[in-house]
Amino acid sequence: PPPPPQGLSPPAASERLLRDGPNELRPPKGTPEWLKFGRQLAGGLQCLMWVAALICLIAYGVQEGEGQRGSADNLYLAVALIAVVMVTGCFGYYQEFKSTNIIASFKNLVPQQATVIRDGEKLQVNANELVVGDLVEIKGGDRVPADIRVIMAQGCKVDNSSLTGESEPQTRSPECSHESPLETRNIAFFSTMCLEGTALGTVINTGDRTIIGRIASLASGVDNEQTPIAIEIEHFVDIIAGLAILFGATFFVVAMLIGYPFLRAMVFFMAIVVAYVPEGLLATVTVCLSLTAKRLARKNCVVKNLEAVETLGSTSTICSDKTGTLTQNRMTVAHLWFDNHIHSADTTEDQSGQSFDQSSETWTMLSRVIALCNRAQFKPGQDNVPIAKRDVIGDASETALLKFAEASMGPVGTLRDQYPKVLELPFNSSNKFQVSVHAAGERQLLVLKGAPERVLERCSHVLLKGQDLPLDPQWTEAFEGAYAELGGRGERVLGFCSRWLPAGSVAPDQDPEELPALASGLCFSGLVSMIDPPRATVPQAVLKCRTAGIRVIMVTGDHPITAKAIASAVGIISEGSETPEEVAARMRVPLERVDPRQARARVVTGAELAAMTPQDLEGLLRTHPEMVFARTSPQQKLVIVESCQRLGSIVAVTGDGVNDSPALKKADIGVAMGIAGSDAAKNAADMILLDDNFASIVTGVEQGRLIFDNLKKSIAYTLTKNIPELTPYLIYITASIPLPLGCITILFIELCTDIFPSVSLAYERAESDIMHLKPRDPRRDRLVNEPLAAYSYFQIGAIQSFAGFCDYFVAMAQEGWWPEQCLGLRAQWEDPHEQELQDSYGQQWTFWQRRWQQYTCYTVFFISIEMCQVADCLIRKSRRLSLLQQGPCRNRILVLAIVFQVCIGCFLCYCPGMAHIFNFMPIRFQWWFVPMPFGLLILIYDEIRKLGVRRHPGSWWDRELYY
Amino acid sequence: MATLKEKKTCSERMEDFRRFVWNPETKLFMGRTLINWVWISLYYLAFYVVMSGIFALSIYCLMRTVNPYEPDYQDHLKSPGVTLRPDVYGSRGLQIYYNISDNKTWDGLVTTLQTFLTAYTPAAQHLNINCTNDTYFFQDTFDGPNKTKLSCKFTSDMLQNCSGITDPTFGFPEGKPCFIIKMNRIINFLPGNGTAPRVNCTYVGDESSLLEVDYYPVNGTFNLHYFPYYGKKAQPSYSNPLVAVKFLNITRNVEHRILCKVIGAGIISDNVYDPYEGRTLLKNT
Repeated sequence: PPPPPQGLSPPAASERLLRDGPNELRPPKGTPEWLKFGRQLAGGLQCLMWVAALICLIAYGVQEGEGQRGSADNLYLAVALIAVVMVTGCFGYYQEFKSTNIIASFKNLVPQQATVIRDGEKLQVNANELVVGDLVEIKGGDRVPADIRVIMAQGCKVDNSSLTGESEPQTRSPECSHESPLETRNIAFFSTMCLEGTALGTVINTGDRTIIGRIASLASGVDNEQTPIAIEIEHFVDIIAGLAILFGATFFVVAMLIGYPFLRAMVFFMAIVVAYVPEGLLATVTVCLSLTAKRLARKNCVVKNLEAVETLGSTSTICSDKTGTLTQNRMTVAHLWFDNHIHSADTTEDQSGQSFDQSSETWTMLSRVIALCNRAQFKPGQDNVPIAKRDVIGDASETALLKFAEASMGPVGTLRDQYPKVLELPFNSSNKFQVSVHAAGERQLLVLKGAPERVLERCSHVLLKGQDLPLDPQWTEAFEGAYAELGGRGERVLGFCSRWLPAGSVAPDQDPEELPALASGLCFSGLVSMIDPPRATVPQAVLKCRTAGIRVIMVTGDHPITAKAIASAVGIISEGSETPEEVAARMRVPLERVDPRQARARVVTGAELAAMTPQDLEGLLRTHPEMVFARTSPQQKLVIVESCQRLGSIVAVTGDGVNDSPALKKADIGVAMGIAGSDAAKNAADMILLDDNFASIVTGVEQGRLIFDNLKKSIAYTLTKNIPELTPYLIYITASIPLPLGCITILFIELCTDIFPSVSLAYERAESDIMHLKPRDPRRDRLVNEPLAAYSYFQIGAIQSFAGFCDYFVAMAQEGWWPEQCLGLRAQWEDPHEQELQDSYGQQWTFWQRRWQQYTCYTVFFISIEMCQVADCLIRKSRRLSLLQQGPCRNRILVLAIVFQVCIGCFLCYCPGMAHIFNFMPIRFQWWFVPMPFGLLILIYDEIRKLGVRRHPGSWWDRELYY
Repeated sequence: MATLKEKKTCSERMEDFRRFVWNPETKLFMGRTLINWVWISLYYLAFYVVMSGIFALSIYCLMRTVNPYEPDYQDHLKSPGVTLRPDVYGSRGLQIYYNISDNKTWDGLVTTLQTFLTAYTPAAQHLNINCTNDTYFFQDTFDGPNKTKLSCKFTSDMLQNCSGITDPTFGFPEGKPCFIIKMNRIINFLPGNGTAPRVNCTYVGDESSLLEVDYYPVNGTFNLHYFPYYGKKAQPSYSNPLVAVKFLNITRNVEHRILCKVIGAGIISDNVYDPYEGRTLLKNT
């Protein structure tokens, strides 16, 4: 034998570490931070704001150059505008940064350790310090720390499922069995799990050069699709920006025609843009989305990209994995067959289900065989842990049997002590059974389990109600029937049998290979079938999806039979639906003659899929509403996703493997599993389910739909006030009245007082059961549609404008300027050299006295908008239900926000010094009440609108006024 | 998302737009049928008619409630503004420069004063009465013609040397120019708390040299019988009292800053934000 390998020397290792870099996956190269920040400053609306600021600066420069007084206002405004863009930019950047950080926190929670041999000494080092050529040791339960060529192995099995999709554990041994590194037996891959055994190997690749690293970097090359909400917002920002420029340009031309100088017309253009652009909107949307993201995080969905929150809401197809997502990801004993009868075992996650009748003596024997013929054992020190959650050393079936035995008959350890093991032959693929002999006082007990047909071959008797009976054809038929039935349910079936031997028949030092010879003429005890059972919450969640018009497609690498069984159990294939095969069997016609439309369900295997063109697949997806894809490769998953998308669906995909990452990226929303998911999958996904539970997706869908509705409300609320902000300028330009509302005041409305109510609308509860509606059609149900804009702008906005002007004229008239005198007054009013302008009573005003009056008007108009916005906020709570049905005070945060809004209004008005800084004047108390009747009018008018919408769905009224 | 974000060529976009404007298959014009357009237009027409009606009603009610004689509030008229004639503005307030030897430089100033004083000729003031009391002229009843109140006469001859009658050039050629100071009208404003407010002009920033000023009328006071003012409707022929100042010792070819304040209780002249409230600042060479 070769001398024990010495491994690298520590200096050589550190030299290679320096050369190759640490052994870790470099995070996918993200956008540089400055670019992310820059993007926040260069959106459509932000560009408009920059232009507005630039115009202000030019106006300031020109006026300063001409030596005019009072032009510092423009400088002031320019600074304010730039500040607004910067602040909202920082805010958006911060939100994005925060959600990226959530993901970063997932990685490297615990630094992975690896056992490495250097200079002949075993060391524990951080896995990222491994270098090529290092000798490493792995054992069951470890994660393989790099790509390793195995030199020595003892029963080493690895789980390659995240890489290749193979769900069976793969044996690793030193011999090279294939040319392809992915197929050969002697290579263990970075980040796969070693399930059992031990191995010693040389590191051949580290970090990004590993197979996983290469796949991960490939996946990051796929561009992210734009989310539906991003498309919506872009669509809407384009419209707003277009309208702002259109409005601005129109009034620029009008102003030029009326005879204003060029510079003034430019300033008008700027003012109109500032008034029309909803500065606070993007911040509102971001906050609303991040609030929902937070809410989702509490329900175990972590959203990486804020916009993904809404994508989930518009999802119309979910392509779900089976293992772990729909199922519990643990083999569990599902059924037993003994005494000619199928008994159901308890498969619930918390062992709360019904158990079966355990009084038969056959059960006593069967349970003894189950417990003894089992190599699995609990890890020590878990006595207080519920059985289902205990850690076990052993493979999946044995674990299931061990837990089942422990749960149904008490401590297995005691039983094993009672019957100490004399000799055993483990399961292997040629025998397909496992046999062991145990001492039982005077006698020895031989127990055997294995594939049912192999077990039957070795049996001559059968145990029925505790009686040893010889096998007869009738019983054999019953056995075949039970085997077929359990197998048909997609369950893994094992047979159990035993035989008493005289003491001393088998000695501990005997060769185990002699045992099969002894194992004949056995007594059959029963069959046990196991399955990875569905999670308890999943059937209900699938049903919810169905009522919500979402199609759930199962895509799995598992057997078609198992896949179909689970699909039926969770409701993906609903009760009463048939596959073409079943239709053929029922109608007794060949499969080719079955009309595919008769079969709602269809199970397609990967092999069938490989033979199909994309058009065939689309046809299948159209014909059969209930689809299960089994035995599919991750590549085919991508094909399925693309086909669904071509059919116009918004597709959510769940996945955990590395090879799923392209499909996760391609999907409109990729959902990775938090527990089972690989880092590559988490990187590619938009959302991570912390509990790997399908039901969490449904919660996400619900929240996504709610946020879409609520964003609609928020946006409607935000857009409305742009009209009462815009009309003062339009009237100012055309009718030459003293300016009723200043730009700084507008910025205060947009970014200070109205932010809170618009955000609070995100807390509004759903109006109807949103999970009973179809998913929105992204091409027709827009976030901002024509009725929303028209109703906000031309109806509610118009009422608000009237309220504002009413209050403005009241404030002017009561201070001495009657409405008819206001018309055409602008030139004299704004002349800084006019110190004795006569009002309607003959009093003479200096320029600054008029200025204070103008600021009073700003404040009065501001208060009017605020008062109307309170009413607006209340009407936006619901789009269809009456305010009373929706509950005016049920959304506490909204009530608080309104109170807060009014308080800010008061503060701005009455805080001393505001006049000189922000142009707010303390106004007379009664001017607060002038707009209130208009607010009431808004409430009443909207109630009438909602009444009409509810009473006459589909009518002209509904089409024009329901947004 | 491929279905949602197809890249369209320009001609396709134009075709889409044309289809939007008029879709011959569905007979939709800009997304609506023609009859629908009529309905929606009628709806908006009705909406705006009603809203305008409500607005007009509000304004009508407003005008019914405002007092025609005096404003409800005078929040921004706590103290009257003070102005100066001739009023020539530079970049930082009133600035008057002229060249004694070149009469073109001061002709305009003189004309301004003369035009201003035409409102104070005896002919222009014939509707007003002569007042002799040196106290406030309170009128609780409408004693004037057509339900008005009476106003006191102020004629330019009260300005004596600066009246433009004896010296039509207002002293400009001699370098001893006249300026006329006027206080803004504020309804029911009672300046001076019983003593007549008076004008006082001084150099600003240069306290060492004393400005010699002749004030007309004597002491530069605004007589109390011009107050209170009852408003345009009650006193249609009211004219503001004036004070003329004649600067006697202005050094030539030096820029002076002269501040003329109206001194009297109730008149604020130190508001940093309003340079014309209760005072007027003049740069003179």
